[in-house]
Amino acid sequence: MNAAPTVFVVDDDQEVRDALTLLMTSIGLAVEAFGSAQEFQDQFDPARPGCLLLDIRMKGMSGLDLQDRLVVEEVHPPVIIITGHGDVPMAVRAVKAGAVDFIEKPFKEQVLLDSVFRAIESDADNRGRVLQIADISARLQRLTPREGEVLDMVVAGKRNKVIAGELGISQSTVEAHRAKVMDKMEAGSLSDLMRMMLFRRS
Amino acid sequence: MRGNCYLLLATLLLPCAAFGEDIRIGVLSHRGYIATFADWTPTADYLSATLDDYQFAVVPLAFDQVNEAVASGAVDFILVNPGIYVNLEVRYRVTRIATMNNRRADNAPYNFFGGVIFARQDRSDLQRLEDLRGQRFMAVDETSLGGFQMAWRELKAKGINPYEDFSALIFGGIHDDVVYAVSNKDVDVGTVRTDILERMAVDGIVNLDDFRIINPQNHAEFPFVHSTRLYPEWPFSKVRHTSNALAQRVAIALLQMPANHPAAVLGHHAGWTIPLDYEPVHVLFRELNLPPYQFPAKFTFWDAIKRYWYGPVIAASVLMFLGVATLWETRLNRRLKTAKRLLELQHRLILNSVADGIYGVDQSGNSTFINRAMEKITGWKAEEVIGRNQHEILHHTRADGSRHPADECPVYATFRDNTPRFVEDDLFWKKNGTSLPVEYTCTPIHAEDGAVLGSVVVFRDITERKKAEDKALKHQLQLAHVARLSTMGEMASGIAHELNQPLTAITTNARACVRMLDSRQTAVENCLDVMEKVAGQAERAGEIIQHILHFIRKEQPDRLPVRISDVVNEMLLLMRADIRQANIQVSLKLDPDADWVLAQEIQIEQVILNLVRNAVEAMADMAQGVGRLDIRSGLKTPGIVEVCVTDTGPGLSEDLIKRLFTPFVTTKPQGLGLGLSISRGIIDAHGGKLTVDSEPNKGATFRFTLPLYIGEEER
Repeated sequence: MNAAPTVFVVDDDQEVRDALTLLMTSIGLAVEAFGSAQEFQDQFDPARPGCLLLDIRMKGMSGLDLQDRLVVEEVHPPVIIITGHGDVPMAVRAVKAGAVDFIEKPFKEQVLLDSVFRAIESDADNRGRVLQIADISARLQRLTPREGEVLDMVVAGKRNKVIAGELGISQSTVEAHRAKVMDKMEAGSLSDLMRMMLFRRS
Repeated sequence: MRGNCYLLLATLLLPCAAFGEDIRIGVLSHRGYIATFADWTPTADYLSATLDDYQFAVVPLAFDQVNEAVASGAVDFILVNPGIYVNLEVRYRVTRIATMNNRRADNAPYNFFGGVIFARQDRSDLQRLEDLRGQRFMAVDETSLGGFQMAWRELKAKGINPYEDFSALIFGGIHDDVVYAVSNKDVDVGTVRTDILERMAVDGIVNLDDFRIINPQNHAEFPFVHSTRLYPEWPFSKVRHTSNALAQRVAIALLQMPANHPAAVLGHHAGWTIPLDYEPVHVLFRELNLPPYQFPAKFTFWDAIKRYWYGPVIAASVLMFLGVATLWETRLNRRLKTAKRLLELQHRLILNSVADGIYGVDQSGNSTFINRAMEKITGWKAEEVIGRNQHEILHHTRADGSRHPADECPVYATFRDNTPRFVEDDLFWKKNGTSLPVEYTCTPIHAEDGAVLGSVVVFRDITERKKAEDKALKHQLQLAHVARLSTMGEMASGIAHELNQPLTAITTNARACVRMLDSRQTAVENCLDVMEKVAGQAERAGEIIQHILHFIRKEQPDRLPVRISDVVNEMLLLMRADIRQANIQVSLKLDPDADWVLAQEIQIEQVILNLVRNAVEAMADMAQGVGRLDIRSGLKTPGIVEVCVTDTGPGLSEDLIKRLFTPFVTTKPQGLGLGLSISRGIIDAHGGKLTVDSEPNKGATFRFTLPLYIGEEER
């Protein structure tokens, strides 16, 4: 998680590829360039943060095909589509499929760089959320089944008395379970716990 | 007619002494009917007296009346010479019942007789039968036994044909006239039966010593002079219808007639004897091929006509038909001659009214005729051209000013190889020294035996045609230009993308460089490398722009050597974006030995671009990764380059192939539908062929041919 973000460039035009690489390097971004969608897919590591600059028109697997394959992954770098003239319908399709941006060639480099920064940021956010949810899920694993039942009912807003009644246990037992849940979930307060569970569900 | 007269006379006379049945005795009247009547009436009277229940009468008959009298039954008995008798025996079944005894002065009976051939005594040159050739010969009658036929037999035995070997053969009709004729020198030789001369001598009409008997014969018991064999005397015969009983009674009466009976005396005979054998007569007739032993050749003309009347009728009809046919043919010939004249006139008229120039050439290359149109078109007069060498007059120089050697003249070639030819574009020279563009056909002329006599040339001034062609060419160039502009419009997206690539690289690189320089963290060398790249990319973009400009410019009409491989690569560059987009693999197999063609480069570019675009677009909608574009070139035949553009698209339906080269037929929503029709027009104009074959679902192959540019070796 502490890896630096990388800009992945996929374009079958060597010149364009090289130019993009140079541009990214000039502003201090890590960059990796690929000549085809297949090449990129072969080394794809979902854990690596960054963003993907993808040309739509390519020999072999097209940019859209690659995008289709990426979106099924739980985590993947955001896709910026680079299009030639007249490829607007394809770009629209790409955005619907989850691309964060599309940029027409030839582009102003600032426009591209802004888009790249936004994508990296969004990727980082995304990756943060994913980690948080994983963290919450891990804490939930620690609960006993009874504690899990108590947690669900607490999150549903039920009072201890109601919970005790429904579960057929005493109020003090319910309170003991709640304290355990708060402890295991590392929640400082009830609202903290509530936020945690809502975040996970979203 | 004469016979009928006799019959009438007889019937008129009969009633005077008529008691009982009438019996008529036909008697051959060889000495005239009065003599006959006088000679034989006593015999008839004798018979009437002896057979008192019958009344006998004499019917004198001329030679030509005998047959009719017997055939019609006009007579009951017949007294004729043995020759006629044998005929009647065979033809009408008459039967002899007695033979006459001839009487001489001594009253002795002789029942044989013969013929005597004689000349005047003073004709000492006539001694033997052989001497008679070439003489004028008179006989009694063709059918007279003693008066001709007996002599004929003897002559024939000596190889003399009386009908051919005498200068004249005359028939006197009666014996006495023959004697007179010889005596009067009317003829050289005569023949009569025996006893005629003797009787005439007795009557004092002639003197026997005045005559020389030719081929004289001696017979101990026969006293008369004679030149032939002897034959039995006249038979008295019954006609078929006469009853045997009557015949028997008549025979007995005749045999009982005493030799010196007045009737016998008056009839110049000595009574009658039993019927003799007439076989010698039959033999004579057989030998002479006479009736009844006549062969067809010896038939008289009239006999032949009587028996075979239909033959002559047919023959006459045929002759008539032939005559008419001949007449018709003669007329036809005349008409044909007239028609031929008319035809010649017409030919001339036709030749002269045709607007095309026509002239004939003989085998030595000289003009044989020229028509009026040719005079008008070329300015040459017929008399200036005919008989002179046509090549030297009309054909001596080519369009480019070089000499046109006679041995390359198509007119000569035509009668050399005996093959008609059509020359589409050539030059004839006018009398005034200018030239005119012509097209002409040249056809060999054959004699009836197939030998080549020369050739005939029909030509036409094609100045107008050439103008029209130029106009059409200009029009086609314009159309092609429009089509190219349209193509560029249709390709704008792909071309823009193709330009975007270098432009993107350029701007990106430039900006990166600016940042690098700005940050002052990078070595200048790095930036130099980048700027080097930027320049290269800008050149690449410029190149594409050049191609486009080149493609849409108006063409220069000159044909120059063009490399197929260059054209293919340039066009692929224009198509690169589309090819990449459609994910098409391109494979090139361009034969370096079939690379150079003489063509208008831009037009060939247009054709190749059209074909490549069609192929790419055909494969654009296919599943990814299967499109393949093959472009091959090679020599189809020596001197002919073939370029094939093959795709693996969905192929073309047969129906579409049929309409494919028609203008404005298109399967593309934005297309004009001019590409293939213009491409075909271009290839046709270059003397090649653009064809397509396709297998549905497998793809299509377009191929075109162009003439190889041979001069390539020297470059």
